[in-house]
Amino acid sequence: MSEVVKHLAIVTGAGSGLGRALAVELVGRGVQVVGFGRRAEALAQTAALAGPGFHPQVVDVADADAVADAFARLEASVTILINNAAVYPRRDILDETPETFMASVAVNLGGMVNCTAAALRAMVVTGRGRIMNVSTFADIAPLPASSAYAVSKGAARIYTRALVADLGDRFPGIVINDWMPGMLATQMGIAEGLDPAVAARWGATLALWHDPSLTGSIFEMDREMLPPRSFKRRIKDRLLLRAKPVARRLT
Amino acid sequence: MIADLTDRHWDVIVIGTGIGGGTIGRALAEQGLSVLFVEKGPAGHRTEETALNTAMADPVARTIRGFWPAPVTAQIDGKTRSFFAPLGSGLGGSSVFYAATLERPEPHDLDHSDARPHPTGGWPVTHAEMRPWYDKAEAMYHVCGEDDPLSDHPCTLRTPPPMTATDSAIMAGLRRGGLHPYRLHAALRHVEGCRECLGSKCPRPCKMDGRSAGVEPALATGRAALLDRCEVTTLQGTAGHVSHVTALRNGVPLTLRADRFVLAAGAYGSPRLLLASAAAQWPGGCANGSGLVGRNLMFHLNEMFAIWPKVVADHAPGKAIGLRDLYHRDGERFGMVQAMGISAGYGEITHYLQQWLAQTGLRRLSGLSRVPAALASRMLGRAQVFVGLLEDMPYVGNRVVFDSAAPDAIRLEYRLHPELQMRRRQFRKAIRHGFRGQRPLFLTWRPELNFGHPCGTLRFGTDPATSVLDPDCRAHGIDNLHVVDASFFPTSMGVNPSLTIAANALRVAARMTEAG
Repeated sequence: MSEVVKHLAIVTGAGSGLGRALAVELVGRGVQVVGFGRRAEALAQTAALAGPGFHPQVVDVADADAVADAFARLEASVTILINNAAVYPRRDILDETPETFMASVAVNLGGMVNCTAAALRAMVVTGRGRIMNVSTFADIAPLPASSAYAVSKGAARIYTRALVADLGDRFPGIVINDWMPGMLATQMGIAEGLDPAVAARWGATLALWHDPSLTGSIFEMDREMLPPRSFKRRIKDRLLLRAKPVARRLT
Repeated sequence: MIADLTDRHWDVIVIGTGIGGGTIGRALAEQGLSVLFVEKGPAGHRTEETALNTAMADPVARTIRGFWPAPVTAQIDGKTRSFFAPLGSGLGGSSVFYAATLERPEPHDLDHSDARPHPTGGWPVTHAEMRPWYDKAEAMYHVCGEDDPLSDHPCTLRTPPPMTATDSAIMAGLRRGGLHPYRLHAALRHVEGCRECLGSKCPRPCKMDGRSAGVEPALATGRAALLDRCEVTTLQGTAGHVSHVTALRNGVPLTLRADRFVLAAGAYGSPRLLLASAAAQWPGGCANGSGLVGRNLMFHLNEMFAIWPKVVADHAPGKAIGLRDLYHRDGERFGMVQAMGISAGYGEITHYLQQWLAQTGLRRLSGLSRVPAALASRMLGRAQVFVGLLEDMPYVGNRVVFDSAAPDAIRLEYRLHPELQMRRRQFRKAIRHGFRGQRPLFLTWRPELNFGHPCGTLRFGTDPATSVLDPDCRAHGIDNLHVVDASFFPTSMGVNPSLTIAANALRVAARMTEAG
């Protein structure tokens, strides 16, 4: 695994849950981390846990201007972006107003778009970078009372694929993929879920893994999810004596 | 900022930034002239590693990547088909995608002799007169390689890095078979991290092309500027003089002025621009007194074949070997044979198979060619794919046409003359015979035109009735218009066109500055 050199990682949603755990884990591995979050106190708590490598920035990722300003304040160019910030309002679709619904979209999709656009401006200059989008399967079978989350996170997965379609062939050194951390014991998750610190170890390893062949891949927890192979594909692979693809693991 | 470029009266405006435009723009800027490069496509990001992709169809996506946006519509032997040619439209033109093979032609490619008569009686500039310019172009493009053991004219080339074990084994096998292989001449600097970006944009100052060896050093002089995403639509002026050009940038019409104009939009683009500039003072198109603008279109015929070397190391072969044993044989003009490099070959095999399927009327099955191509690359994985370039001859009926209703479309009409078909059969026979013992397998069934090597559409010569340009590549009858892309070739030669384009651009730059 070749690691991105001279790291400056941005972790969005670093004031709580998985974002905080990722920030702590990355700082623990010697990475300088800029943590984006809306609440200064929450970021201060992350800073206390992470140590001196953590640099808090109070910024609402849904606010494109605020994100651009925050990137302009960075002392070095971002090499790793972890789009982690998300909101998960539990609300009946009958109670969602267009405003409340779109406010969730503005964070879960808009925040990813705002931060990615800003990070790419630096990454295309060097041709190198790492963008990892924290994702979910919530779009496949939306749960009741989760409409805004399911829709916006589903759109965010499409955004990852669109990034790969536009950039994959031109900038193979900018490695972009999705990571599904699993069900976590966080405010957004479930009480019996996984310790976010455990998930963060996988997430940090994946974020520090700079291999162009990762672009477009999806990892669930510590394991690569291979795209389903159609019958035709399997026949073709057999015909060409291709080895069956093997899912990669985060160790 | 754009106004700074458009309001200025330049010494020279260069239209197109491929090998020809990039090279001459650099030479002129280094000699102290102010130079504006006008490029139809985008400058792009220097870190891009995009590979040429003839399957991508969306014109916006193609433009962003520096591919020519529109398909070529070709009427070949009366049958019309449409396809994406391996053509660039962006900073560096097609050259950012090329394989950086900068080979010299043979004397008979340019010169007439009784032993080897030239089909046009010879170029107006001899091989001997070109040699100093080849030397200069090879130095400018950092060309590395070995001298052809069959040649009397040594080059001064950089020593290439050691060959892979696979290539050495192939080379030894060819020598045992009585052939004379040598290290192909490549414009690669092999800087730290070099991945030999053959077929794709090089993100480092390593592969030397119209961008890295031309425009970028020109801009570094401080005397040159680049206007990208800007398409020149017409040349304007009086009968014997170009005063300005009209152009479109982001839909905004512009007028660009200079003392002199250099056309380097490629052998498809340059004649189309001259034809598009037809006006009262230029009936039938600018510089078209001869009626030959766009005519005498030539390509190379690619004969691809695979050989299996007896000893193979487990290492990917490179595009490292060339030979000229079959270049001219039994009184016939053929051309060079070169290794393609199997990794670079896959996409091209697919392309050729798709063309073949399209030709046979099985267009709907063209997706299937990926399977045989992948199969071929699998089965031939331990083979080396070579290509023989067969020289094409000029015929006035073969031409680029301009359609004012579709100014962006490249349309061409071409007939495979019986003479070419006959020479092709002889070339294949010569390959089969020359490579016997190497188990050659042809990968091309029908004549395969190399649409990335167009030339001849503005030929140079001494007689204004039979040529478009004079021996200095200035348009006959127009005092300040030069052409330096492959349009000027009277014949297509048996080698890749790039080195001759670059050398000629340096020669023309010297003529332009000598003439003051």
